[in-house]
Parts: sequence; C-alpha cells; structure tokens
Amino acid sequence: MASAPPPSAAKLYRPNQYVSLPAELDPDTYDTSPEKLRAEAERLAIRSRLKRQYQLQLNNPNRPAVIENPALIRWVFAKSQNVYPTFRPTPKTSFLGAVYGLAPLIFWFFVLKSDRDRKEKHIQEGKVKRPFSVFF
Amino acid sequence: SEMSKDMMPGPYPRTPEERAAAAKKYNMRVEDYQPYPDDGLGYGDYPMLPNKSQYERDPWYQWDQPDMRHNWGEPMHWDFDMYIRNRVDTSPTVVPWHTMSKHFFIFLSTMLIMFVLGEIYPSYRPVGPKQYPFNDLYLERGGDPNKKPPTVIHYEI
Repeated sequence: MASAPPPSAAKLYRPNQYVSLPAELDPDTYDTSPEKLRAEAERLAIRSRLKRQYQLQLNNPNRPAVIENPALIRWVFAKSQNVYPTFRPTPKTSFLGAVYGLAPLIFWFFVLKSDRDRKEKHIQEGKVKRPFSVFF
Repeated sequence: SEMSKDMMPGPYPRTPEERAAAAKKYNMRVEDYQPYPDDGLGYGDYPMLPNKSQYERDPWYQWDQPDMRHNWGEPMHWDFDMYIRNRVDTSPTVVPWHTMSKHFFIFLSTMLIMFVLGEIYPSYRPVGPKQYPFNDLYLERGGDPNKKPPTVIHYEI
C-alpha cells in the first residue's frame, strides 16, 4: 500500500500574503511556453521604448532642468485627486468608514468620560483628594 | 502640469476599449493591465500590480533610478512609497513564514506565562522583619532624650 507522494517544496513553504515565493519554488520560472516568451518580448518592447525616450531626453545637450516622469505624475494624481471622483458609497465603504472613522471617536469618548466620572465620584465621596493643577 | 486630461488616471474602465486605452496610457500590455476591483474605494482605473517590494528587483540591471530600482515611465505600484528599499521588504524568507511565526509565538507565550507565574507565586529565600539597633532607633525617630527608651531586644540566649 503506497502512501501519497511527499508534498512539494512549494506546499511545504506554504505561500502567504506577506512575502513572495522564492524563484526556485515558483512554477512560473519553469514555464517556457511560447505565450510567455511572446509576453516577455512585448514587455521588453515597451520597456525599451520608454528607455529610449528617457535616454534621448537625458543626453540632450539642451536638457530641460527636470525630466518629468509621467508615471510619477499619474501616481500622485491617482492617489490625491482621483480618489474623490471615483469614490462611491457602497455597503463596504460605509461600513469601513464607520469602523475607522466613527468607532474610535465614540469608543474613546465613552472610555474617557466614564473614567472621569468615576474619579469625580471618588472625589465627591472624599476618597481621593482633588489634585491641584493650574492648567486643566 | 502640461499633461492632457486623457493621460491622467480616470474612472474605472467598463468597456474593453476603455481597458485598452487605459493599458496604453499606463504603458502596460493589455493582458497585464488589471485595474483594482470596482468597490468604490477610490482606486479608479489605476492598475493593480503584484505586491512586490523594490528589494526583489534585479540589483544588477541598469535602472534609470538605481536607488528606487525603477525605470522612467514604468507604472508605479499604488503603495510604491511603502515598498521602497528603506521600508517594507517582501523578499522570500529562508525559513517559511508559518515556521517563523510558530517559533516566535511559542517562545513569547512561554516567557510571558513564566513571568505571570512568577508574579503570582513569588519564591525567594526566607526573610524576617528588619532589626534596627539603639532600641529601634528611638532617638533618631524623635524620641524624648530625657525619658528612658523602651528596651528592645532582638536576640535570645
């Protein structure tokens, strides 16, 4: 009665969301299909076109003072100015907004208020002397 | 800046033509371009790139920006400023993550349990109350020098 084959190294490693799989365990490295080669060739074409544009601007005798990077500008725009137009109130976003925005406020309000009420009650009952403080 | 409106990120692409136009805008292949799911969270049509830090990129390639390991015009990850080399690093670990976390939590919980037990059941050599000379320091504690102090004997013969 043969037992199951030993688990692969990738399964033993148990890929998780925090770190990536080492290249040796990733099945993607051993994939040499023509689709992959074509994809790599297309990516290389895009990369070399961008590199050429950049190098032309860099080695220009009348180089502009700052070579602006459209990817950087798009990234900054997306993070700062594109969030409000593309935001939509959905059940998930309203729930997250309540959890991150309202819940801490309400929680700390109740914690601090009850703590101060308890201290005030102790002082009125005479158990604790009221601390002398000028500023608050 | 001088970039036109259609070069800037926009709303989530719905039709395949919009997707192709967005992929071209971001300098990506149409098959590679994958926008964030349309949850209304504010991502728009920004591409969802794999969550890999800049540490994982080839150190020997001639990047346009070697410290960032980033090329001019290459689409930047949404969390690019988190994945720079000074910050979060997602390089593969030598030891699997579950082994590391198991070892860490076993060690931490063992130490914490031992400390808590030590607080609840302290153990030290037997001690007795401290014995002071001169009749329990009668004069130093403000006793009257004219009166005879009460005799305090700490020994037995």
